[in-house]
Amino acid sequence: GHGSARQVALSPRSRSYGRSCVEPPSLFWQTPGRLTALGQRTPTARGAAKAYNITVRMYTVALLVQNEWKLSYVTPLYRFQYTKLKLYSRHLAAFILAEKQQGVAVEVGMEAGFRVTFSAVFGLAEKEEDAETVFIQIYSKPMFAADTPKMVWRGWLTCVNGDPEYLRSLPPDFVSLPLFCSNGSEYLTARVKSWFGRTFDCSFGSLCLSSATLNWLAALWTGCHPTCDIGYLKLYWSMPTQPTLDVEYTVNPHDAWELWNSICAQDGAEDMVSVEEVQRFMAGLETHLFRHFKIYLSAGSLVKVSTALGSAHQDGKIKIGSSDYITTLLTLLTECALLKTPV
Amino acid sequence: MAGASNLSGLALETSGELQSPGSASSNRSLRVAENVRKKGERNPFQFALNYLSQVQEGTVVRGNDALERNLVLVETIALSQGLPPEAVSLLLDLALSLRAGSVTCSRILKFLIPASVVPQEAIVRGMSWLCVGKMPLNAQVLFLRWVLTVFDLIDCKDHLRAVYGFIFSFLTEENLCPFICHLLYLLTMREHVQPFRVRKLLEIQTRMGKQSFLMQLLALYKVFRPELVTLSVPSRLRTGFKNHNSTWKAALSAVQRKNRTQMMADHSLSLGVKGKPVSRKRKLDHLEVPPLSSSFYTNSKKTVFQLQELRSFTELLQNIHNIELPAQMGSLLGCSLALHYLDCVQDESAFLRLNFWLGYSLQEEFLLCPVDGDSDSQTEASRFLATILSSQQFLQESFLSTESFLYKFLSVWDGSLLRSQVLDLLSHVPLMPSHHIRMLLFEPLMQLYFTSSVFFKCSVLECLNSMLLKWLTWHSINALENGLDISLNSNGTVTMTLSGFMDTVIELVRFVGRLAAEGLRLENCHVLLLSHTLAFYETVCDMFVKYGLPLVIMPPADVFYPALLATDSVSVDRLGYIMYRYRKNLTLAKKQGQQREQTFHISRVTYQEFNKHLVAMVSCLWNSKSFLSGTGIEVDERQLIQSKVPDHWSSFDLVHHPAFFKYALEFHQKCWPERKRVDLASIKVGKYWNWYVEFLFSQGFDGLNDFIKVNTGQSYSSSSSSQGDSQPTGQH
Repeated sequence: GHGSARQVALSPRSRSYGRSCVEPPSLFWQTPGRLTALGQRTPTARGAAKAYNITVRMYTVALLVQNEWKLSYVTPLYRFQYTKLKLYSRHLAAFILAEKQQGVAVEVGMEAGFRVTFSAVFGLAEKEEDAETVFIQIYSKPMFAADTPKMVWRGWLTCVNGDPEYLRSLPPDFVSLPLFCSNGSEYLTARVKSWFGRTFDCSFGSLCLSSATLNWLAALWTGCHPTCDIGYLKLYWSMPTQPTLDVEYTVNPHDAWELWNSICAQDGAEDMVSVEEVQRFMAGLETHLFRHFKIYLSAGSLVKVSTALGSAHQDGKIKIGSSDYITTLLTLLTECALLKTPV
Repeated sequence: MAGASNLSGLALETSGELQSPGSASSNRSLRVAENVRKKGERNPFQFALNYLSQVQEGTVVRGNDALERNLVLVETIALSQGLPPEAVSLLLDLALSLRAGSVTCSRILKFLIPASVVPQEAIVRGMSWLCVGKMPLNAQVLFLRWVLTVFDLIDCKDHLRAVYGFIFSFLTEENLCPFICHLLYLLTMREHVQPFRVRKLLEIQTRMGKQSFLMQLLALYKVFRPELVTLSVPSRLRTGFKNHNSTWKAALSAVQRKNRTQMMADHSLSLGVKGKPVSRKRKLDHLEVPPLSSSFYTNSKKTVFQLQELRSFTELLQNIHNIELPAQMGSLLGCSLALHYLDCVQDESAFLRLNFWLGYSLQEEFLLCPVDGDSDSQTEASRFLATILSSQQFLQESFLSTESFLYKFLSVWDGSLLRSQVLDLLSHVPLMPSHHIRMLLFEPLMQLYFTSSVFFKCSVLECLNSMLLKWLTWHSINALENGLDISLNSNGTVTMTLSGFMDTVIELVRFVGRLAAEGLRLENCHVLLLSHTLAFYETVCDMFVKYGLPLVIMPPADVFYPALLATDSVSVDRLGYIMYRYRKNLTLAKKQGQQREQTFHISRVTYQEFNKHLVAMVSCLWNSKSFLSGTGIEVDERQLIQSKVPDHWSSFDLVHHPAFFKYALEFHQKCWPERKRVDLASIKVGKYWNWYVEFLFSQGFDGLNDFIKVNTGQSYSSSSSSQGDSQPTGQH
């Protein structure tokens, strides 16, 4: 009513325009439950893995597969426009060159030294709120024109099944692509991050995967076995002993699936997986090892999970083995990245 | 010599403050010129100038005595007093036209010391002589160096900027290039940065290699048009231009000192690009505030102002309608001019960008990175937090990102890392619903409180007091008139009901009550802790009268009695003040409650609590009835007898109270200096009591004075003759 209109005129500008970090859509306050040290909360249930419906251009997905990717989280990009990808390519190329030859100015648009391509990968986005994935490749220009340019770096920014409430709450001039995967030299990764930071006022932080996330991955991948051979389930633990004991635990895919299936069969819901089920699955695997080797795996930390579908390491490195269940993996990683978003 | 120049420097500065430099100085220069002309009629200087202005092309110089005589005359005047503007014009024209030869040209340039200002037309004409291309190279360089030296004395630069293209064309002259770059650097405006010029500069760069003067100019071009050119300036090369003023420096400053002109040539013209002092780079520099730079989509229209171009609040006001935010909002942190602007425009995106960056930096530095005990990083971190604090104080509110950071950080904080900054930030936490505050704030804080030293406990109470004060202030400003709801933001989208707000306040006050009570017990009623506790209740007792919040919460007995029975007089006095203010608040609440229909209820329990405290205090201090039944603190009679304290009922009255014992003794000494045996009981007899109380209040116990005055009906400001045994009033 006019009461509040009057208020606008009278009162000083106030905190953050109606945003509050203790109310939705803040991810800080997303789901009830105990607050971890970083205020991170993970959902207690999620959908079971579903085979990916390939509508994406094959060659781009092929680029995502088989490479090792280093993960980072990214705060939302300000004024990123899909219509300007060409322009961004030229700018990033000029920027990298200018950084390389410190103190020598570079005209934007002059293609020398590096060629950069930005491309949108359509089809990976799942929900309406998800922004389309952006793929970046950097080629170094050969000394002699006859040689073909060599790809020296590649990376992509993505958002798959991001929290819709959070994404909707961002003003329209922001694009949230919270997950950044890079493959190439540290030097170029740092330059690309720095260029994004200057151009879209965003920040990159490294994304490590908690053992809870790795547990989820192990369970979700195992669940795929009937439709798609996962080949093996390999789990790597690091035990806090002197000297450190690394445990590599390879499980026959069928055995793993049997265990998983016996746990899921007890609960009704077909395509939902609860965190209790995941915990029971991991406990089952741990008990089995204990029976044979008398080692309590729960005392150590899960470092890496690997199947034919892909692998994920605690320090934030992943490999995508097959494009079939890529959505499941990216959904989980998007969620991890969004939870790191500071506000 | 050094002393003298210092003195004159001071004088110049002060006079500069009094007069605005622009119009005043040019008026002054006109006046100076006028004076010179008047004198000139009888003045050999004017004759000399007249002579020189008439020197024709092809004049023989060698052996020309007349020319020599006049030149010497003008030179002497120039070096001692400086030259008036039209003389500068005239001589510059004579020199650059080479009418008197190239040797004379250099000679004139060397003594061309302006007394006040340099007319820009002279420079423009000089540039045209440069274009004619007859001057020898050394004269060209000398001329450009001279222009750079007197640049700040040029009265106006618009015509000079109009010939930017001509000046630019000299860049290709390899020997002039450094000077031309510097001059262009000083003249460049956004509209001068054009693609063809960028290309030309890059071409020159390819030819000449990495040169700092080219780099400076290109860096400036990048500031104006980042979409045309990009450049990374290595930090060790961020030094700016060289000074070229050596020829004139001494003479110019001498003349200026002499003329006491308001204009001060800036001998540090070269400080165009001020690189921040480069500190040793840390391994992970999350806390580095990004430099101000234009946004990628910078508007190349002339009218747009970038925040980094603004120098003053006036400039901000004049251009507030077309200001462009920088590429990275983090660069504005701690820049008050920019915060002014942000505060004014209410741009949600801008604030979010700042918050994303700030939240990211805090999170990476304090939550995700392994702590290194490095003292360097400690100071850097504390400086960063101090910048955030000052920005928040300036905006009078907390950043969303610091708030969410603090909630996360509290659960891992050891209570000592950057304690004062963290607690200061915590005191800025905005209002939130009571169930949240318990979980996010109180629980982690309580754990830290009970496991830390008494000094930490004091800091926590201080922090919570300051938090309460901010909330109350916010309430008193933002309470909506119609309802009693308050708006948590200016567009009224987030509101909190009054009862919601009161719940949170009650929650906070109760929480502090618990902390204080337990803390006092644990720390044996530490004086400092008691003092911080009382400071908190000084805020609490006045919530209704001072901040319009209809809420009265009494301190728990565990806080009240330690203060009443404290051994230091300051605490007892503060308690007196607090009880006095409680009474004021309750009285007002009762009066309003009777007057208005829609009244709020202060619960009966609150009145009862107040009365109980009041009775206890009055009977203890005034009526000498401590520990007796019906006085609030009751102690079993048998135990009192067992304790064998004589007259125990009076051991906490104003005479025997350990806090005032010293004063009683002093008073006794003054009244009965001859007495050998001290008998404090005699103070309580008749007029001595009144005198004693008056003496006590004259020692500065104002709180107690107010308390006694209002609760016993006694006035001690003027000597009154009322009974010492008056009954306490003020029972509600």
